[in-house]
Amino acid sequence: MSSNKRLFWWLVAPGAIFLILFLILPLASIVVFSFWRTESYTLIPDWNLDNYIRILTDWTYIKFLLRSLSMATIVSLICLVFSWPIAFFIARYGGKFKLIYLLLTSAPFLTGEILRVTALQQILGPIGVINMALSTFGFEPIQALMYTNTATAIGLTYLWIPFMVLAIYLSLLNFDFELLEVAKVNGARPLRAFWEITWPLNRAGSAIGVVLVFIPTLASSITSKFLGGPNGALYGNILANQFGSTGTWALGSAMGVVLFAISLIVLYIVWKMVGDLKRSGVTIKGGAEL
Amino acid sequence: MTDTVLKLDNISKNFGPIKAADDINIEVGQTEFFALLGPSGSGKTTMLRMIAGLEKPDTGTISISGRDVTNEPPYRRGIGMVFQDFLLFPHKTVAENIMFPLKMQGASEKDKRENLQWVSNLVHLEGLEERYPHQLSGGQKQRVALARGLVSRPSLLLLDEPLANLDRELRKEMEVEIRRFQIELAIPFVYVTHNQEEAMTMSDRMAIMRDGKMEQVGEKFSLYHDPASQFVASFLGSPNAFEGVVSSVEEGIAQINWFGHSIRARAHDGLQPGDRAVCYVKSEKISMLESGGALTGVLRDIIFKGQYADYLVSLGDGHEITVSGAPMTGLKKGAPMHLDWDPGKADAFRAQGGAQ
Ligand SMILES: Nc1ncnc2c1ncn2[C@@H]1O[C@H](COP(=O)(O)OP(=O)(O)OP(=O)(O)O)[C@@H](O)[C@H]1O
Ligand SMILES: [Mg+2]
Repeated sequence: MSSNKRLFWWLVAPGAIFLILFLILPLASIVVFSFWRTESYTLIPDWNLDNYIRILTDWTYIKFLLRSLSMATIVSLICLVFSWPIAFFIARYGGKFKLIYLLLTSAPFLTGEILRVTALQQILGPIGVINMALSTFGFEPIQALMYTNTATAIGLTYLWIPFMVLAIYLSLLNFDFELLEVAKVNGARPLRAFWEITWPLNRAGSAIGVVLVFIPTLASSITSKFLGGPNGALYGNILANQFGSTGTWALGSAMGVVLFAISLIVLYIVWKMVGDLKRSGVTIKGGAEL
Repeated sequence: MTDTVLKLDNISKNFGPIKAADDINIEVGQTEFFALLGPSGSGKTTMLRMIAGLEKPDTGTISISGRDVTNEPPYRRGIGMVFQDFLLFPHKTVAENIMFPLKMQGASEKDKRENLQWVSNLVHLEGLEERYPHQLSGGQKQRVALARGLVSRPSLLLLDEPLANLDRELRKEMEVEIRRFQIELAIPFVYVTHNQEEAMTMSDRMAIMRDGKMEQVGEKFSLYHDPASQFVASFLGSPNAFEGVVSSVEEGIAQINWFGHSIRARAHDGLQPGDRAVCYVKSEKISMLESGGALTGVLRDIIFKGQYADYLVSLGDGHEITVSGAPMTGLKKGAPMHLDWDPGKADAFRAQGGAQ
């Protein structure tokens, strides 16, 4: 028993130390800084709430936060809608090529983020493939695709969709597709069967996928910087500015803390959703609990 | 058949090189309990799946109540099905599971409640309605699966080894109950099993399947007592087999020379003198005589089975025969045995791969 315990600590310690050093400590320091103030590029430790009062009352900050929240919601929903058919068909009909199909969906990850975004710029921008083609044939270029929030949303969807596909796919791996046959024999059309059986039993996969897309989208800045144009800045861009040109680290820290708090709230909501499912005692194949 | 509900015509289905169904023709009547019996891999499940619409036959037609449903999707066929491993919806309560088919039909709340009441009385599930499947015992899950199959009063119920996962006690109980539901509902049941006792207990008619083919279809008694093929003769009951050369055939009875013994049985497959034949005699059709008899030997062992006993008789030349009969206290191991049977109750077929 005690040797087991010691082994446990030896196995857990490296990961725990890593997390404390590189996650908890920086996070703690950001929380501390958020109650300080910055003057001429230096942090001054006089404790106050000014940063929070400013970002929670000044309309400029609220506007960017709302924009990021709606961007994250929309991108998560688009990813969810697009990923379900992809994940479903890979899991159901992928046969022995399942893993290859799955890896193909993450092909965009083989290049870096900047490269991916510039590649999209080549397609969506004013001198991009789509608009060049349109103007070659004498049509007006599509304004919505050039340096707008729509372009950012497309870029972010493209960026995060593999995570959503993966989350749903992993959930479907434990799903008993025979249940769908039962539903069909009992009179359910395919869409109805999906809604009654597949969706509720794989809510955990959708939920995890939403978390994996929503949270990084909320904090994202690079995509909007490249694709969003002058009016497309998101909360993440403003936040990045505080640590860059303006040098108002304390304010930036407070913005970061707000982001973190929102992420925790989202996690809590999702956990509640999955918890509902757990109460019905649903276990995945093999009897493991969700 | 005047009141045919299910009709399969020339149904064939291949999975690559495997013939899962090979030119199947069957008809099942309105109040019939039809058992589909066969060894593992013989195509029983495939047959049910084709009837349900979960698998499409390569050739042939399926009709239900006179309507050709060969190209209809499962949700338009209006049949019930009970699956081998229950397949209850884990996120739905017992009541929701049972009412699922009604919900899909858009039945009213009142309708659903009434039918739930009716069917849970029928299968004795009262009081379990609000439980989830993982809170049920195996037998209770089985009953929920049955209830879900019955609740919409389908025109036909398909059952795929519904009792395979239950212990013997429960199986016996459920066998009787399932038969009772069928009589009460007066709809045809097509019941797949590889347990012949189960098939015998419950069915009116049986079909024996082997490698995708129907070996024989008919009343259970005639299948048991008058097997039409070697496979059926060897599959049903616990027969003794004797392989030898036919010495004569007279009035349908073949005389077979089996290691110097003369054995008699009904001749099938057009047996002629000189043919290699294999003869099957069910163990309970062999009688033990005081003297004489076709075969003599000594009693090697008695296996007491309760209502009856198996007597293992050694024939001196190393062969052994099993005879079933009422348990007798008088017989002792080593006692001389004289065995014989009515040749009209034994069946001889052409031996597989045997010379003409
Ligand atoms: N989807 C499939 N793909 C390929 N072969 C299949 C498929 N379904 C069934 N088979 C094959 O068809 C044959 C019949 O299978 P089926 O499941 O109908 O047998 P069964 O009589 O129900 O057997 P058991 O008693 O073991 O359940 C088997 O050889 C099986 O391997
Ligand atoms: Mg089967």
